Amino acid sequence: MGKIVSIHSFRGGTGKSNSTANLAAEVALTGKRVGVIDTDIQSPGIHVLFGLDVVNMGKTLNDFLHGKCKINEAAFLVSENIASSKGLAKLADQKLWLIPSSIQAREISQVLKEGVDFNRLNEGIQTILNELELDYLFIDTHPGLNEETLLSIAISDILIIILRPDDQDIQGTAVTVDVARSLDVPNLFLMVNKALPNIDRNDLKSRFETEFQAEVAGILPLTFDVAENASKDLFALNYPDHEWSQELHKVMEAILAIP
Amino acid sequence: MMENQDTAKQLKKLDWFEDLPEDLMKALVEKVKEVKLNANETLFSKGEKGEALFVINSGLVKIVTEDSQGSEVILNQLGPGEVIGEMALLDNEPRSAGVIALSETTVLELKRGDFMELLKQQPGIALSVIRNFSSRMRYNTSYIEKITEMSKLVAHGDYSFVDLARPTSSQEEDVSDQEQKIDRLLAEFFAMVRGVKEREEDLKKQVEKLAFQIDQERRKKEFEEITSTEFYSKLKVQAKALRAKRTDNK
Repeated sequence: MGKIVSIHSFRGGTGKSNSTANLAAEVALTGKRVGVIDTDIQSPGIHVLFGLDVVNMGKTLNDFLHGKCKINEAAFLVSENIASSKGLAKLADQKLWLIPSSIQAREISQVLKEGVDFNRLNEGIQTILNELELDYLFIDTHPGLNEETLLSIAISDILIIILRPDDQDIQGTAVTVDVARSLDVPNLFLMVNKALPNIDRNDLKSRFETEFQAEVAGILPLTFDVAENASKDLFALNYPDHEWSQELHKVMEAILAIP
Repeated sequence: MMENQDTAKQLKKLDWFEDLPEDLMKALVEKVKEVKLNANETLFSKGEKGEALFVINSGLVKIVTEDSQGSEVILNQLGPGEVIGEMALLDNEPRSAGVIALSETTVLELKRGDFMELLKQQPGIALSVIRNFSSRMRYNTSYIEKITEMSKLVAHGDYSFVDLARPTSSQEEDVSDQEQKIDRLLAEFFAMVRGVKEREEDLKKQVEKLAFQIDQERRKKEFEEITSTEFYSKLKVQAKALRAKRTDNK
């Protein structure tokens, strides 16, 4: 049975979608069957990294939630649309699917008004794992601890909390860690993103690990290179030797090491 | 007054005149005038009209300009056998820098009019001047390309080439003034890259410990707010059942 990997951050702007897309792609490059589901229904964004836009986006998670299609009809095989970008092109022979959230304003406001049917979302997640015979399903969540996010934490085998090294993110992460423990998440990792280059990494790692009782799987630097490239292409695939990519690679290895 | 033979010897050192036949060299030597300078005496100033070229015979001069505050900036120091002001002879532009003697100095002056006269009589000299300029140009271009490539590497944080390439200035006797200038540029460029590299490494070493504080009371309060809802209690039960089911399926 495949593993559910939820990627979460307490606040927005941590680089969560960008990291999720790159992590999922890295795992797919090892030959695993990988799915990515965008449950950030309020503010979807990860589709851009996989080359999807309003024109070429077909069925979405929203259609499934409203009973308009089956979940696998909303799964989009990334290798079918790798057209222009260099990083994505490396996924040509890989099994990586994206289940996008709708970017139609009307559909977003509909979900916001009506709320999400959890049983249906949960059913969709379990179905897609089986039908596509996924090794890993990555869930990109909405920041904070709303109900969809709590669901994704509750059902995850691996939870990765992304935080920036600042007080607000650290405070929010503390609460998220407590919630994850309370929901019996079996594997919990922290990933620090946007770390200033002069930060004492060893000190940061050991203090976070003591405070949260969770492994810091990677400390990714704040860099203009990523900022410039983000939301255009998969940075880690395009620049595998970059420090950011190397640290992300450590996070991937931590995921793959879970038996 | 110096011997004409010595003057000829000095002039022959210049690329332009090295292949000049005896008779023309003799004519040239006659046109050349020796100028004596005391230490600190100005040969010419920046912005003056350039009417002659000079070959340093003995002594030492500095090439100077001013910075934006008007203070003197020394661009270079030149000694015997080196040529000053040859560009102005051909392009009619004002002097791009000034020249001041650092010690007692003698230079050989060749006026533009005499030089032009010589060119008319002996077109071979023109050819040799052109040949000389184009080989300089080619030489300079190859270094511009090299430095462009290295600048790109530096922009990407790759400093590895400074450890591989030859950074020191050439000390060989027969290198031309132009080659020396390029060597100086390269030496300065390498010194700059090393400086940047060292500063960057120092900066990396100056690590700071992150100061952070968790408000434990707020943490507890927020946790309770989230977990005290009916939704959460149901979710917890569902999650437990789901995990049990998934474990059974393995």
